[in-house]
Amino acid sequence: MRFIKMMAKRREISSIIFLFVLYAIAGLVNSSFLKSENIMLTLNGATVYTICAIGMAFVIFTGEIDASIGGILGLSAAVSASMIRDGYPWTTAILTAVCIGLIIGSVNGFGVAVLKIPSIIMTIGINSIVRGLSYVYTGGAWVENVPSEFKQISQKGIAGLSWMYIATIVVMIAIQIFLTKTRQGRYFHAVGDNADGAVNIGLPVTATKFVSYLISAVCASLASVVFVSRIGFVTPTSGNGYEMIAIAACVIGGISLSGGVGNVIGATFGALIMSSISRILVFLGFSSNYDNTITGILLITIVVADAMVNKRKLESARRERLKARTSIVTENLAKGGEML
Amino acid sequence: MMRAVKAAGSKLKLKWEYLLVLLLIVEIIIFGNLNPNFLKPRVLFGSVNDFISICIISVFSCFVFITGGIDLQAGSIVGLTSIIIGVLWKDFGFNIWAACLLAMLIGSLCGALSGFFIAYTGVQPMVVTLGGSFLFSGLAIAVSNLSNTPAYLGINGFPEAFTWFTKKRLFKVLPVQFIIFLILAAIAYIILHRTKYGRKVFLCGINQRSAEYSGINTKLIVMSTYIFSGMSASIAGIVMTSYLGTSKADFGSDLTMPIITAIVLGGTSTLGGKGSVTGTALAALVIGVLRFGLSMSGLSNQYMDIPVGIMLVVVVAASSISKNMKIKAFIRKHLNLPFKQSARQV
Repeated sequence: MRFIKMMAKRREISSIIFLFVLYAIAGLVNSSFLKSENIMLTLNGATVYTICAIGMAFVIFTGEIDASIGGILGLSAAVSASMIRDGYPWTTAILTAVCIGLIIGSVNGFGVAVLKIPSIIMTIGINSIVRGLSYVYTGGAWVENVPSEFKQISQKGIAGLSWMYIATIVVMIAIQIFLTKTRQGRYFHAVGDNADGAVNIGLPVTATKFVSYLISAVCASLASVVFVSRIGFVTPTSGNGYEMIAIAACVIGGISLSGGVGNVIGATFGALIMSSISRILVFLGFSSNYDNTITGILLITIVVADAMVNKRKLESARRERLKARTSIVTENLAKGGEML
Repeated sequence: MMRAVKAAGSKLKLKWEYLLVLLLIVEIIIFGNLNPNFLKPRVLFGSVNDFISICIISVFSCFVFITGGIDLQAGSIVGLTSIIIGVLWKDFGFNIWAACLLAMLIGSLCGALSGFFIAYTGVQPMVVTLGGSFLFSGLAIAVSNLSNTPAYLGINGFPEAFTWFTKKRLFKVLPVQFIIFLILAAIAYIILHRTKYGRKVFLCGINQRSAEYSGINTKLIVMSTYIFSGMSASIAGIVMTSYLGTSKADFGSDLTMPIITAIVLGGTSTLGGKGSVTGTALAALVIGVLRFGLSMSGLSNQYMDIPVGIMLVVVVAASSISKNMKIKAFIRKHLNLPFKQSARQV
């Protein structure tokens, strides 16, 4: 019972357990799934999703949502890939990608934080504009012929685990420490938990929301660089639907869309689950076409179960309060006093 | 006092719809000047065929937005309906109309499923409908795997009776789709603005708790709006399958954005409690004509998202600026500044 209580308290633990159960089932059916090379490949494959989900987590902590990272990823992937192909230094290409992220993120942040536009609508609009811009940039053509030296970066690593994933995890841990141990880091959860309260105690709510959009967009841009390095080409539809995957990863990892709940560790594991599903399906002998179905079922089940647990917790808390109140009243009545 | 507020409100709403009509006329004039072919009634009304799904779905989806929810799954239900019709007809030997009815039933059930979770467990509508969009588009692919036809080809060769009605034009000008849209919009208008049920939908959006306390079964009302949305999506799927003469699992996958744009542009508040069918229908037409006109003026289809996106952002920005007290005060201050100074001098 205590275990269940702990699970209910720390949602990311349930998603970690869920991940292990998934892997165990896949391993039981097809033992080659649990070979270390395959696990490493699965982890490497999760890099792009993980970076996107970490960025998205910041926005969701503040109680908003960012539906534009798919577009940002597509545009900055197209720009950085074509720059690398045309022989610009890699750092210039990466910096350009980050700049694109900063510009679009600040537009999002300005709209949502300053103009108070509902975030889902603002970012859906920006997403379609950015997606259109990436068509304008590429002319609808694929960006191919990325030099193999650049592609090799994603292949290098230690014991099969790529440096990119290791770096992502290290940064994730740093972010987790920043979010839990520093004053500025706590702002994100505080703003999402109770925006009015945060204003009243003098937290910079507008600035925090603005920064969260910047972080989300820059994460999408960095993810695009990893994307280019891993895939090696960019199509006009690259990055389509990544925003939904990132949101789903966050939700599966125990981050509540109402804001203020969850942490980036959960987002990382959520992203890992999202990217593992199609690989597990293949190992179980199904077509990977079904991954959307499984993702949908998973998302709805996890969220609904979470809501049920929360509801029960609220109910029991209320019942306890009621009990305490009635016991006082009965005591008073027994003493011959009046009802409170 | 109340009456005055109410009158002002209705005047404002009417004004917004006039603005949309004006926008539509301006669009038609501009595109007519760019390309004289555009003004031919046959072309102009024929353009409805291209965006009929946006119109049909947004008119009913605005119910969901009025209750304060959001629907991201309607697009995936379109594809699911289409592929179910195809597979039932081709591989299971159903009558085509029976297949349509069954597909509509399944579309409504999809809406009911999401609506149930949203209304009865209190999960955010966005998460559930996001999961729903994954689930239903995945199911569509699963259904298409039941068929012997490869998924990328689509199922073709529907009977004449099924494809005929969307090819037909009334008076050789008005396509039947347009009539279907008008009828559905009228039905939606009556449901939302002329029945008790419609008032309950509005009340749920304004304040769900007070609606609950005044004896309205709010959970059922919220759930029913998602059923309406799912049903309209499956009607759109049927019309689309009939018009294109082929059924594919990925129809409608890019509809989510235009639907939300149409609803927001139509004056529906995303916070709930405000909105109208007429506004939504007009906004859907505005967006559709914009897309069609731009493509007739030689803009490639892929770029179409830019103007629609800009339109969405500008409209929501303008509406939230008009509500923002700080900016209002800023404008008032700076507009009144010279007057105040002159007053002081006097």
